[in-house]
Amino acid sequence: MQATENPTPHHEIVNRLDTAVSEVFEMMLERSCDPMDGDVNIVDGRIVARIQFTGAVSGECILYASPATAAVTAEALLGTASSEPADPMVDDAIGELCNMIAGGWKSKLEHPQAGCLISVPAVTREGLGALEGKFGTKFSRTYSFQGNVFGIVLAF
Amino acid sequence: MRALIIDDSAVMRKVIERALRQAGLELTEVLQASNGEEALQALRDDHGKSNPLSLILSDINMPVMDGLQFLEQRRDEKLAVGIPVVMITTEGSEPLVLRAISAGAQGYICKPFTAEQVKARVVPLLRAA
Repeated sequence: MQATENPTPHHEIVNRLDTAVSEVFEMMLERSCDPMDGDVNIVDGRIVARIQFTGAVSGECILYASPATAAVTAEALLGTASSEPADPMVDDAIGELCNMIAGGWKSKLEHPQAGCLISVPAVTREGLGALEGKFGTKFSRTYSFQGNVFGIVLAF
Repeated sequence: MRALIIDDSAVMRKVIERALRQAGLELTEVLQASNGEEALQALRDDHGKSNPLSLILSDINMPVMDGLQFLEQRRDEKLAVGIPVVMITTEGSEPLVLRAISAGAQGYICKPFTAEQVKARVVPLLRAA
């Protein structure tokens, strides 16, 4: 986030993210979702969604998941069974999940940061490489719901 | 009743439709648009039908034409006059809410939402319409 006289403490940024993730899963997917200790390496074919913050906050929220986790997420969001990992709706679901989490995190900010704008989600299966290195400060977090793991990076 | 759902996410359009049905609304037809421009065309095509729309739900943050531009253009073209419009969006900041209301939105629901929240915001508007 942009420098202020009293920068937001690290734990507060992470707490807001944990709460935003929990709210989205409980309200939209009717599942509980908890943060995990340490990083989990999700590399093979992962789906990456990105939301950009502009204005009072300059940064991005990146959510990444394996195709299998993304398919389970889409099923839970849609309330239907058997989304195939290659289904375009799976990418759409991951984009919306990132959108709602980023929006939920933003809504917990205080004035004036809460006035920042968020972009529409961009979703890719081409990895994080092109997205890395743009912002200097990163908060990385991994979450699990029913044994399915995904990661979120907030970068400013 | 017939409803129009405007959201660039096909997943979210399905989620909103399901929430409306869970709220007890008997939907006979659900029109869908992925941005404001498509939605305006849907309203133009629907103009004069014997069974008009009862409800419009729209996202704000969309490509091509966003939800606020849609509201303002709808007002200027006098399309779907008197039909309640509810914004469903992650953008809950006060300036956007005020602009949406001044452009004709009657309700506002922030994502994430529950079917109960949708019911609480939408049903009174339908009764009052």
